[in-house]
Amino acid sequence: MIRIGAVGDVHLGVDMRGTVRPSYADIAEHADLLLLAGDLTRLGTVAEGEVVADEFAGLDVPVIAVLGNHDHQSDAEDKITGLLTDRGITVLEGSATVLDVDGVRVGVAGGKGFGGGFAGKCGHAFGEREMKAFIHHTEEVAERLRTALQGLTADIRIALTHYSPSAETLRGEPPEIFPFLGSYQLAEAIDASDVDLAVHGHAHYGTESGTTAGGVRVRNVAQPIIQAAYRVYTLEPAAVEPAYPR
Amino acid sequence: MNVPQYDVAELRRALAEDPRTAELGVQVRIRGDQLFLTGDVACPERRAAIAEVAAEHSDGLALHNEVRVVRHDPPTGQEDLR
Ligand SMILES: [Fe+2]
Ligand SMILES: [Fe+2]
Repeated sequence: MIRIGAVGDVHLGVDMRGTVRPSYADIAEHADLLLLAGDLTRLGTVAEGEVVADEFAGLDVPVIAVLGNHDHQSDAEDKITGLLTDRGITVLEGSATVLDVDGVRVGVAGGKGFGGGFAGKCGHAFGEREMKAFIHHTEEVAERLRTALQGLTADIRIALTHYSPSAETLRGEPPEIFPFLGSYQLAEAIDASDVDLAVHGHAHYGTESGTTAGGVRVRNVAQPIIQAAYRVYTLEPAAVEPAYPR
Repeated sequence: MNVPQYDVAELRRALAEDPRTAELGVQVRIRGDQLFLTGDVACPERRAAIAEVAAEHSDGLALHNEVRVVRHDPPTGQEDLR
């Protein structure tokens, strides 16, 4: 049994240094790894990124993160990625990593994702260049997520994004803003890739549990929803090998 | 002309774009001359900053700051997805 710890939207500011780390001191008793589903900071400054590193680096379990929209606010996302990486936190953006947990290969592919909306109620790459740029960004990040997922050789496969691949985990948010909260194209990538669990954040008023259109379980771990340091989901590697090699 | 919908939009924009708050998730309701703020934020300082910014955009309204600070205790259970 693999225990996946996950939280999103911790939104750390420089005034929060030292305040959250105590909640993760005994994490190895609860989880085998910790996923951070983006919006690690408030303003996306390097100073806030350093607080994130101080709070989450060197925990007793591996930490795998994606960035969120807040982490892009100061155009310092590359610096934040660099400093987290230097401190031993894996930051995914259209990329993947495989951990060995007691002989089980746990693969995580991830990236920020983006909005655009859900099938039949979404934006299209048509008209003004601003609109095309918006949707093209979604298409690009979804395509990189698909490539990263399909490149994974693992026993358990997890998709980690900030934006949501499902409208179901947005229940509670105003439907008018769903196109700013996620995209069905992320779910298409996930549904094409034999994923066991998709984890996201971003929708602070959404719902924890849902599925993709293709039936993959989705969990929204935005901290205002889970009201805890992190959630723990347990997964067992598939007993029956799939028809093609993983 | 004073249109409450525009006041709500202006305050939501301020809470999102003012670097003191940078909160996209605070809900704003004006009922009569009462202003209600709800949502969850990461720390008490953030909650206070929301009240500070809201006060600058809510002339003549009685402000009710119902924003809560999110809990971050270690988990008490786990969900079995097998
Ligand atoms: Fe967030
Ligand atoms: Fe977000």
